[in-house]
Amino acid sequence: MTLLTPKAVLEQHRVVICVGTGGVGKTTVSAAMALAAARAGRRTLVLTIDPARRLADALGIDALGNEPQRVSLPGPQSESLALHAMMLDPKRTFDGLIERFAPSEEVRRQILENPIYQHVSGALSGSGEYAAMEKVLEMAESDDFDLVVVDTPPAQHVLEFLDSPRRLVEFLDSRLVKLLVQPAVAAGRFGAKLFQRPVQIVLQLIERVTGVGFLEDLSAFLMAIDDMSDGFKQRADRIRETLAGPDTAFILIAGPGQEPSRNARMFLDHLSEARARLRGIVVNRMHLWPGESPPSPELLNCTVPQADIDALSHALDDPAAARTAVSAASEIANQAHRDFVHTRILREHAEARRCFFSEIEEASHDIHDLQTLSAIADALTVDAEVANR
Amino acid sequence: MSESPAKCLLDCRLVIVTGKGGCGKTTVAAAVALGAAERGLRVALVEMGRDEHLHGLIKPGSAPVGYEGRELSPSLRVFHIDPFAALAEYLGLQIGMQSLVKKSLNQPAFKQLLAAAPGWRELITLGKIGHIENFGRDEGRLTYDLIVVDAPASGHGLTFLDVPRVVQSAIKTGPLQRRARDVETLIQDPERTRLLPVSLAEELPVRETAELIGRVRNDIGTPLDRVVVNRVLPCPFPRDLPRNSDGSDNFESRLETLPRNTELGCLPSPQVLATCSARQRARFELNDHYVRELANRVDLPLVRIGEVPGGIERRSDLLLLAEQLFSQPKAHARNGNLQDEASSQ
Repeated sequence: MTLLTPKAVLEQHRVVICVGTGGVGKTTVSAAMALAAARAGRRTLVLTIDPARRLADALGIDALGNEPQRVSLPGPQSESLALHAMMLDPKRTFDGLIERFAPSEEVRRQILENPIYQHVSGALSGSGEYAAMEKVLEMAESDDFDLVVVDTPPAQHVLEFLDSPRRLVEFLDSRLVKLLVQPAVAAGRFGAKLFQRPVQIVLQLIERVTGVGFLEDLSAFLMAIDDMSDGFKQRADRIRETLAGPDTAFILIAGPGQEPSRNARMFLDHLSEARARLRGIVVNRMHLWPGESPPSPELLNCTVPQADIDALSHALDDPAAARTAVSAASEIANQAHRDFVHTRILREHAEARRCFFSEIEEASHDIHDLQTLSAIADALTVDAEVANR
Repeated sequence: MSESPAKCLLDCRLVIVTGKGGCGKTTVAAAVALGAAERGLRVALVEMGRDEHLHGLIKPGSAPVGYEGRELSPSLRVFHIDPFAALAEYLGLQIGMQSLVKKSLNQPAFKQLLAAAPGWRELITLGKIGHIENFGRDEGRLTYDLIVVDAPASGHGLTFLDVPRVVQSAIKTGPLQRRARDVETLIQDPERTRLLPVSLAEELPVRETAELIGRVRNDIGTPLDRVVVNRVLPCPFPRDLPRNSDGSDNFESRLETLPRNTELGCLPSPQVLATCSARQRARFELNDHYVRELANRVDLPLVRIGEVPGGIERRSDLLLLAEQLFSQPKAHARNGNLQDEASSQ
């Protein structure tokens, strides 16, 4: 039976989407995977959608704009390495879409100045997800990169993220939007006999809650983008095809603790529900036992006989140091054991789905420069090969 | 904005817990709520988002609580706010025409509009929290003394708290605008409300917490008076550890040089023992470094809580955390005397 390796996954796909809950080091692992791919000679972009500036942090660079930026790597081969990073700015991505699809300068200006558009495209949650998918497609289709690694936001539900293009299209296609795209509404005359009773009810309800003016703005906005909705629909279809296609791989990033691995299992369910192609599971920050042979049950249960502790005290000639060393070892043995137990189900899942399973050891130092990132990239590519023998 | 003076969390009306994902935000919210209920306060604990987690923490094995909520412990009621349910309830109360509301909410067009429209979920959820805060006011006796909110993680948490402002700039009149204004007043009230950020003593959480606090101070205005640092490691070395000749207490090098085959029974080799000790030491030192870094960067007192080995399993684990959370926050230790403090604990 051949299992995939991270190396093969990075070589065989054009888009790698990293999913997982927050706090497990998803950004760091995404950046490390991108680095591994770049070192294997692929022109790679790592794209983050996170509202926090984590990728810039992880890559040790100051800021990332809405455009890919070359990451300068230390070391002699840095010239030949093509690693780029970018952080998504949803508002600018939206503006870019409007510029591209607007049939005329007039329409473009109407949309960009509409108050509803300004709120929808800006800070409010939900809009970022669509913009992100759009950017992924744009970058995946660009000739500048062989591979795009996507660090997804720590969304509650990965489906919401993957689904955002479809939701937008359904919305643009909906009856309500079709109704709102009428001069009468834009002119604030929706109480008129132009509409059927249920429609009036809905419009009146919206107006009662939102006050006068909101519906007119909404209608004006929808009328302006109505001409462009074919463009949006085509893009949304392309996004869906790309995500479902053989060139896209999904990687689950998990943490080793009880809660993170429980969340990871929830993500696995969501991914299979979405029929996403899961190609690997990475458990970040694992505690591993440093000895060649496993720790004794006595060490794990904290029942080391006094005679053994005495032997260590004697050898060190230092009882306090001996006690400290024994409790440190027992602590580390237990952490490693707990992590192993909590991640067992993820390991089994990876095996059953024939995707790779990698563990990245918890570092006792920080991961925020490229050297340490590079160590993770090594671990990712080496470990899995060993594990598959 | 002037900082609000630190008051005991038990004296607040509304405590909003936020923080980077994975920092233990939900655990902290559960501990504050359970600890307060244990001390005789009537507490509402509010969760949002698609999946429920709190019931499993507070009463392992119990069923999800749902929108109406359930008492999971004496005088502690847990609610899960589903925005759709909250919207139906709100529209019913506002408009008073149940049939109109029902008809509208059942319109497929309306459902699609809601699925696509951003922002309303946050606003309606905040509105529901304000509603819970108001329970019993008309009868002259408030139903809850304290409302604890497990808010979304920092990036989304900021969006969440910012929605009342955004809504007011998009909508100038009507009930929704008034709702947004009332909610904004509540979350900015220094007498009633505290935002409780939870962080970890690690590089990225420290940065993100500093960023969060900067934005809250500049743009959002929710009162802040302390930061919780979760999983602070205790010093693994006793004070009576003999020092080396150079004054350090590093005994790992001595372990390292013992013969590999030293007979130690069930203990691993001296070299493995040395690795374990060195790891514990490095981990503690890094943790300690970031506790100090956080204190310097956020310029707020810290409440340090320790890790519960093996995770939160029992109610008593949460109550233990609550004790630590209710203690007065310590003033910043700018000059690095944390190490002494930690080892004397």
